[in-house]
Amino acid sequence: MNAWLLAAVVVCSAGLAPCLWLAARGAAQYRLVGISLAGTLAAVVFLLLARGFHRDSYGDLALVLAVLAPAGTLVFTRFLAGEPVDAVRDTAGSEHGE
Amino acid sequence: MTPRHLLVLVLLVAGTAVLVLTALSLVVLPGPYLRLHALSCATSLGAPLVVLALAVDTGPGRAAVTLLAIGALLAAGGTVTTMAIGRATALLEEPEREELAQ
Repeated sequence: MNAWLLAAVVVCSAGLAPCLWLAARGAAQYRLVGISLAGTLAAVVFLLLARGFHRDSYGDLALVLAVLAPAGTLVFTRFLAGEPVDAVRDTAGSEHGE
Repeated sequence: MTPRHLLVLVLLVAGTAVLVLTALSLVVLPGPYLRLHALSCATSLGAPLVVLALAVDTGPGRAAVTLLAIGALLAAGGTVTTMAIGRATALLEEPEREELAQ
């Protein structure tokens, strides 16, 4: 086992466990922190595994995850919080010419 | 052990330590806003340190540029995500604060 695989094991075991624990309890907006950090950690683990196994193509998984994980979290925040009340009121007022 | 290999190990250990400590601090820190500090620290410091270690170990070339681009994506995406989660938390907690004020 080289240093890259050792780092991947450490991040995967000691890092992902608290994220999953936080993502499994509490209100919906509190779980998002755990999910977001888990996405970042998973991307780093993919990069470390790619180097540890000498398979550079595995890094593409990290690239895809680095793009999709923040986008997914942003969608979750959008569905949870929606538009601020003042912004909705301003938009409705401008549509009616007020 | 060459200085370059030593630098790679230092960056890798530092990045891994930051990632693990921030993940553990999610459990320790009370409240949603304090946990956002841990999230931003992991995405803007921990992940770029690990990616930098990988890029230094790879050496100059196309693969290192790809790794640095992934690190930049992780840092930028993490920053935007942190702000969005903070905004969503503030918006969802606003009615509760108003009820407590009354």
